Amino acid sequence: MTKEIFSENSEGGLRLDPRTKLLMLVVISVVLTTGGYGQMMTLARPLLAVMPIVLLACSRRYSAAVICSLTFALAYFAEIFLLQFVGGLLNFILLACVGILVRFMPCIVMAYFLVSTTTVSDFMAAMRKMHVSEKIAIPLSVMFRFFPTVRDEYAAIGDAMRMRGISFAGGKPLKMLEYRVVPMMMCSLKIGEELSCAALTRGLGAPIKRTNINNIGFHAQDYVSILLCAISIVAYVQWVLVS
Amino acid sequence: MQKPTTPQAQQANQQIIKLVNVNFCYQTSALMQDDEAQGGLCDINLSLNRGECVLVCGESGCGKTTLTRLLNGLIPHFYDGFSNVEKTDDVNASEYLQGQVIVDGKDIPNTQLYELAGTCGSVFQNPRSQFFNVDTTSEIAFGPENLGLPESEIIVRVQDIARQMHIEDLLGRNIFKLSGGQKQKIACASVAALQPKLYVLDEPSSNLDMASVAHLKDQIECWKTQGKTIVVAEHRLHYLRGVCDRVLCMRAGRIVADYSWEEFEAIGSKERTALGLRAFSLDELEALEMTEDVAAPETPASAKHVQAKMLLLNNFIYSYKHSDNALSIPEISLPKGGVIAIIGANGAGKSTFARCLCGLNKHFKGKLTISGYCERRKKLGVNACASCSARGKAAVCRALRESSFANAARRKLCFMVMQDVNHQLFAESVLDEITLGLQSQGKDAEVMANEIEEILSSLHLSHLKDAHPMSLSGGEKQRVAIATALASRREIIVFDEPTSGLDYTHMQRVAQNISQLNELGKTIFVVTHDPELILACCTHALMLQCGLAKDNFALDQVGRHKILEFFKHEAAS
Repeated sequence: MTKEIFSENSEGGLRLDPRTKLLMLVVISVVLTTGGYGQMMTLARPLLAVMPIVLLACSRRYSAAVICSLTFALAYFAEIFLLQFVGGLLNFILLACVGILVRFMPCIVMAYFLVSTTTVSDFMAAMRKMHVSEKIAIPLSVMFRFFPTVRDEYAAIGDAMRMRGISFAGGKPLKMLEYRVVPMMMCSLKIGEELSCAALTRGLGAPIKRTNINNIGFHAQDYVSILLCAISIVAYVQWVLVS
Repeated sequence: MQKPTTPQAQQANQQIIKLVNVNFCYQTSALMQDDEAQGGLCDINLSLNRGECVLVCGESGCGKTTLTRLLNGLIPHFYDGFSNVEKTDDVNASEYLQGQVIVDGKDIPNTQLYELAGTCGSVFQNPRSQFFNVDTTSEIAFGPENLGLPESEIIVRVQDIARQMHIEDLLGRNIFKLSGGQKQKIACASVAALQPKLYVLDEPSSNLDMASVAHLKDQIECWKTQGKTIVVAEHRLHYLRGVCDRVLCMRAGRIVADYSWEEFEAIGSKERTALGLRAFSLDELEALEMTEDVAAPETPASAKHVQAKMLLLNNFIYSYKHSDNALSIPEISLPKGGVIAIIGANGAGKSTFARCLCGLNKHFKGKLTISGYCERRKKLGVNACASCSARGKAAVCRALRESSFANAARRKLCFMVMQDVNHQLFAESVLDEITLGLQSQGKDAEVMANEIEEILSSLHLSHLKDAHPMSLSGGEKQRVAIATALASRREIIVFDEPTSGLDYTHMQRVAQNISQLNELGKTIFVVTHDPELILACCTHALMLQCGLAKDNFALDQVGRHKILEFFKHEAAS
């Protein structure tokens, strides 16, 4: 029972090693944004695009998964069938939209999955296993901690702006950006300072080998994901060599 | 181990904290000023024995936060400062600090922060910003992990602490989804996981409701029975009664008095308020009510003739995603021109109510109706209200004695002074801040300038009008926010926890500001956990429980008693 508390993802669902997730993010980004079509790539592209969506569904983020799969299916369909029937400027616009959606959306979905399902502590453990220096690992893990904070601050500032009737309707987009960003930086600075105090008084940064109670490691699901990534890489390399 | 033989050695062993002739002064940059950071320290001599539980009190900026930072090593290792000695390039941090600081035999300036982690545990003021992880279990394990303890021991420690503090149900949760009180519990647990000998708490209760404060008290008592030494810097004293046995009063960086708790309470409420301290206990507040016959804040003259006028809130029902109704008030009427306290435990729907009132929640269908509103607006010569201008005729407006406001209209009618005022200050100077967004009203520039001048002087901000809002103190920032509300002619001003973490003097100032606004005929809502503030300035109370309006009463003699009973009940639960 004790093991359950410490090793199970509290939100339930599929649990992947953070290193697998990182690998997938890199592979998806590289292959989808720089790769083209033809031969094995015709197979690898949809495979890579579908993977993050499947992962979302497996981690019980159903609504996000449904929205993403519909958008992607639509864009993919448009790219393959619709583009040849329209011409001129419309073709250009459609191509741009569809291209961005098909190429970048899976990367964004994967990044979202990575950030939302990895705890700071898992991430630190993964960084250690990959022998990444603490100088890089600590700032990166603070970033994980900061995403939700920034979101909260952003919402609070947005409320304050709406209350004051400050909006983009004023026609000064640069000023708007300033009103948004300056208070957010001030608040983040303060929170960052308090956060550092709390972390330092609890011994962060000690030159001791840090323990980590999160047991990360590769399981069946990791091997499957890595295999799929390997297939995509082979397809990509082949495509690069041919073209 | 050698047994100490001489009395001196024994005494030294008993002592956990020893400060000798300590002087310290912050080196603050203009932008990062906050009230607490003003206070340096002057000639501090202090020794504490093991197992003592000490309260450090005094008004804001008296140096009590600085004292706690000295004990946990944040000074001099995190906060730079300079001593009276001229600072040169080659002095290292420890030389800004004069005197001797010894905690558990460790000389603080020459000890690294991480070496202190197992000695001194710190709990801070803001529950939002003192956790490093996103989930609770890793947060509690975080300290021991940093010290490199073996995994099996960490797991045992986390479980022990969870059992001890009755927070098993909080393990494995996302910290961002916890309430303030729960976050503070996790903060206490994660400090306790390091098993320090000394606990230093810096205003741990300032963002908590009464029930969470009671939990905090239990926690401190538990540490006390374990024989730990505890130092608490606080404004709110009532929960520490019977917990702390020694009280240090500070003023302007010096320790001015060193009492036992009994001596401390004997100084009486006059002296206490002079020291800038909050009430010793809720009983004391009640006794004050009884004896001094504190007249209920008089209904201001301007409010009297509108007394019959009411605010009618309809259909105030709102729920967040994936949860039950956070707020469910089908209909309620509140006095226009009153100061209405909104009270209730954490999660009772107070903030939701305030946000709905200000029109900040999208898809919220509730309405606010003000009786007699149009008539007054007509007299003031201001544009007719939204519903009247929709009809397009001023004549209709005069006849219409009621006007109702939906979400968007309420955003122009109400203004919220947020708990963290930093979120609502945008401009580069106080004057710009106040004029921001006003141009659209198309008023005569000169009239407007005069009006703003008046507002500034009434809030004692005239001398600051060219200052950057972010360089002001917390109280001044709050007044700038109030000024923006006045300049944009809001009728309803909502304060969200305006006095959390404030001492008596500053709390009184906020109460004065609120009363002053009320005299201008504004209706004020105050979301608060602070009984002293309510007694000082509110005229009406709305009590929420689980999103329902449980009670709604005027703060006359009976009402004031009811308020005190409510807070006592909260503290006892």
